[in-house]
Amino acid sequence: MKLFRKLPGYLNIWTVLSMIIVILILLPNLSILINFFTERAENWEHIQEFILPNLLKNTSLILVFTGFFAIFIGTSLAWLVSAYDFPMKRFFKWALILPLAIPPYIAGYTYNGILNYTGVIQTTLRNNWDITVNQSYFNILNMPGAIFIFTLFLFPYVYTITRAFLSHQSAALVENARLLGRNAWEIYFRVVIPISRGAIVGGVSLVLLEVLNDYGLVSYFGVPTFSTAIFQTWFGMNDLNSAIKLSATLMFIVFALLIIEKLLRGRKKYSATTAKVRPLTPIKLRGAKAWTAFSYCFFIFMLGFLIPFIQMIDWTILTFEKIASPVFTQLMMNSLLVSFVGASLVMVFAVIIANFSRMHQSFFSKSAARVTILGYSIPGAVIAVGISTVFIDIDNFLFKFYETMGMEASLFLSTSLFILISAYIIRFLAIGYNSVEAGFDKIGNKYTEASRMLGLNLTKTFFKVDLRMIKVPIISGFILAFIDILKELPLTLILRPFNFDTLATKAYQYANDEQIQEASLASIIIVVISAIAIYVFHQVLEKEPK
Amino acid sequence: MKNTWNLFCLALILAILTACGNSGEEESTSNESGSTDESEESAGEVNLYTGRHYDTDQALYDQFTEETGIKVNVIQGKDDELIARLEREGQASEADVFMTADAGRLHRAEDLELLQSFESDVLNENIPENLRETDNQWYGLTKRARIIAYHPDRVNPEEIQDYSDLTSEDMAGRVLIRSSDNIYNQSLVASMIAIDGEEAAKEWAQGIVNNMARDPEGGDRDQAKGIASGEGDVAVMNTYYLGQMLNSEDEEEVKVAEQLEVVFPNQDTTGTHINISGAGITSSSKNVENAQKFIEFLSSESAQEQFAETNYEYPANPNVEASELLQSWGEFKEQDINLSELGENNNRAIQIMNEVGWK
Repeated sequence: MKLFRKLPGYLNIWTVLSMIIVILILLPNLSILINFFTERAENWEHIQEFILPNLLKNTSLILVFTGFFAIFIGTSLAWLVSAYDFPMKRFFKWALILPLAIPPYIAGYTYNGILNYTGVIQTTLRNNWDITVNQSYFNILNMPGAIFIFTLFLFPYVYTITRAFLSHQSAALVENARLLGRNAWEIYFRVVIPISRGAIVGGVSLVLLEVLNDYGLVSYFGVPTFSTAIFQTWFGMNDLNSAIKLSATLMFIVFALLIIEKLLRGRKKYSATTAKVRPLTPIKLRGAKAWTAFSYCFFIFMLGFLIPFIQMIDWTILTFEKIASPVFTQLMMNSLLVSFVGASLVMVFAVIIANFSRMHQSFFSKSAARVTILGYSIPGAVIAVGISTVFIDIDNFLFKFYETMGMEASLFLSTSLFILISAYIIRFLAIGYNSVEAGFDKIGNKYTEASRMLGLNLTKTFFKVDLRMIKVPIISGFILAFIDILKELPLTLILRPFNFDTLATKAYQYANDEQIQEASLASIIIVVISAIAIYVFHQVLEKEPK
Repeated sequence: MKNTWNLFCLALILAILTACGNSGEEESTSNESGSTDESEESAGEVNLYTGRHYDTDQALYDQFTEETGIKVNVIQGKDDELIARLEREGQASEADVFMTADAGRLHRAEDLELLQSFESDVLNENIPENLRETDNQWYGLTKRARIIAYHPDRVNPEEIQDYSDLTSEDMAGRVLIRSSDNIYNQSLVASMIAIDGEEAAKEWAQGIVNNMARDPEGGDRDQAKGIASGEGDVAVMNTYYLGQMLNSEDEEEVKVAEQLEVVFPNQDTTGTHINISGAGITSSSKNVENAQKFIEFLSSESAQEQFAETNYEYPANPNVEASELLQSWGEFKEQDINLSELGENNNRAIQIMNEVGWK
C-alpha cells in the first residue's frame, strides 16, 4: 500500500483498474473501427442511395415510439407499486419484471404464432363459429408490431430502475407534495417524473440500445433497420467495410443518444438532503381505484408474460415427446454457469468504473463511463468479430509462452470459455454500470466525503461505506445482467467452445428453422430460470434493512 | 450480511474454477488429438463447424462416432459468421470440416481459401459431378428446390409454370414471398443473373415487387399460411418447409399445407432453382483423414437416407430415393448451372433487390 500512497492523488488503484477495463473494451471496437478510415467500401454509394434513408426512418420511428411507450408504462407502473397499496401489489412488484425473461425475438415468434392464420385465436374462431377474419387486423409482422413487442418486453428496464429509485429516494419529496394537497396526477408529473429523471433516462437508454442491436425480431418482422443492413452488406454483399461504415453510423446515433441523455440528466448531482434514506409509505387504494390499479398492472403482466408463457407451455406439451432428452440438463448447467460468472464479473467491473468516474471529475473518467456503453450498442455479431480478432491476436502473441508451458501452441484463449465470458462483460457492462451509477447518484458523495474526512482512504471507504449503500443497485444490476446473459444469442453462438450448447443456442436452433413449437422447451426453461432469479433477488431486496 | 457476501464470493470462485476447468478439459482433449504420436489414442476426433442445425444431423454424427470411434466435436452457428470465424482463426483454426446450407457460402469459403481440395473415390462415386466443386474443394450432400406453392381453387397451375409467370399482370397483388434479406431469395435471383443476365433478373425482381400481395414478412411457412388465409394465392418457398408443415405437430399447420399444391417451375425451359447443403475440409485442418471419413460417411447411402427421410431434403446420392412425400411431387428438371455461380452473383443479386425496392 505504501507504493500507492506515494503516487500522485489522481493515480490510484481505481484509476489503474478503470484504465485497464477501458482498454479491454476499446480494443475490440477499435479493431473494427480502424478499417473505417483506411479502406474503401465498394458498396457504400449503393447503400447510401437505396438503403440508408429507409434505415434512418425505420430506426428512428422504432426508437422514438418504443422509448416513449417504455417510459410511460415503466414509470407509471413503478409509481403505482411504490406509492400505493392495491390487490396483489406485492406480486406485481416483481412479476412486472418478468417480461424481461422472454427474449424479444422469441416473443415475436410467439405472438405471431398466437395471432396468425394457424394461431389459437383464428383457429378457434374458424373451427367453432366459422368466422374468417381480415388478416390485416391480426398481422403483427410490421413496424407497429415490432414496437409493440419491444415495448412490452423491454419496459422492465425502466420499471426496475425507476422503482428502485422511487422506493428509497422519493419519500420526503413525495410526502411533502402530498401534504401540500397535490393530487396523484400532479405528483406523478411534477414530482415523480422530474426527480427520477436520472433513473428513467438510464432505463430507457438500455431499452433503446437493446432495440438498436436487435437482429432476430426485426429481420423476422421484415422491418429493415441498421442491424439487418449490417448483416446484409457484410455477409450478403461480402463487404465488411460498408458494414463497418454502417456500424459507425450506428455508433454515431448511439453517441448522440448518450449526449442527449447527459443533457436530460442535467449537470445537477442529486444528493439526498437528509441523512436517512427512508422508504416511501404507500397509500392504500380502495374500491374502484384499487381495481383500476390492479387491472392496469394485470393487463401489462398478461400481455408481457402470461399470454406468451401459456402459449409456450402449450407448444412445449405439443412437442415434448419429440424433443425432450437428458441433454437439456447439461444445457441448463452450461447456461447457469456462464450467466452466473458473467453477471458477477460484469458487476465487479461496473462498480470499479462507476466509483472511479464518480470520484474523479476528469475528461478521462467521463469517457470511461461512456465507453461502457459501446459494447451494448453494437449488434452482437459485430462485437463478436472485434473480440475474437483481439483474442486471436493475443493467442498468436502468446504462442511462445504456451510452448514454454509445455502446451501445444494453439488458439487457447479464443477457443475457451474465457473469450465468451469476456465478451459478455464487454457486452453487458452497460447494464451493470447504469444500475450502479443510478445508485451512486442516489447516495451522492456526502458519505464518502465524510468517511474520507474521518481518515479512511478511498479503498477502505469504498468497502466499508459505499459498497454497502449501493448494495441494492448492485443486486438489481446483477439480475438484469444474469438474465441478459441467459438469453444472449449472437455472441454465444459464435464464440462458444466446441460442443458447448446453451439453452439459448438450442432455442435458436429450432426457431431459426421456423420450428417455433420445438423451440419452446428450451425457451421455457430460460423463462422459468429467469423468473426464479427475479423472484429470489426480489426477496433479497425486500428483506434488506433499509 | 457479511455471510451473504462471503457465500456469494465463494460461489463465484467455485463457478469460475468450474468454467476454467471445463475449458481446460476442452483444450486438453483437442491437444491430445493434435499430437498424432500418441498411439494409444482412440480413433481421434473431427472438429466440425456447421451452419445446419437439425436434430437429425446430430443423430448422424453420433452414428458416425459409433461406427468409427471418431469423436465429432461440433460448433453450430450462423453460416456467415462461421466463415468469418474461420477466416479470422486462419491456420491456427481447430476446425476440420465446414458444413453449410447454401452453395453461395461454400463458394465464398473457397474464395477466401478456407477450404482444401481432396480426392475421394467414395465421394466421386456417391455425389454426382454437378454437385461437386470443380476442384473438389466441397461436395453437395443434400438438395432443396425453390418451388411455387398455390391454392388449386384460386389458381390454374398452367398460369404459373415459370418463375417469370409470377410477374405477369394477372398475378398482381397475389404473390407471397419473403424479404430480400433471406439467402434463398438471394440465391434465386443470383441464379437468374447467371442464366438470363442482370437485366432480366432485375426485371423479374421488379415484377415480383409489383405483384406482391403484401410487404415481405415472416419465414417460408408464413408465406404458405398467407395463401391459406387468402392474403395471396401463390407463394415462393422451399420444398422442405412444406414437408415439415405437412408433418408438423400442430394440426392447423398440417391443414394449411394440405390445401396447397406445388409447381416445379421452368420445367420446359431452364429448370427449377435448387440449392444444396454441402461440406468441405478446411485448409487449416489437423485431422484431414478423419475429416474425409466424416464427409464420406455423410454421402453414404444410410446417412443420405436419413437426410431424405427426416428432413424432407433431396439426397445428393442418386442411389438413394427421396422420401415418399418428395416422390409424390414427381421428378423434376433442375437448373443447369454451376452452383458456385450463386456465390459469385450474390452481391449483385442483393443490389438488384435493393434497387427495385424489395424489402
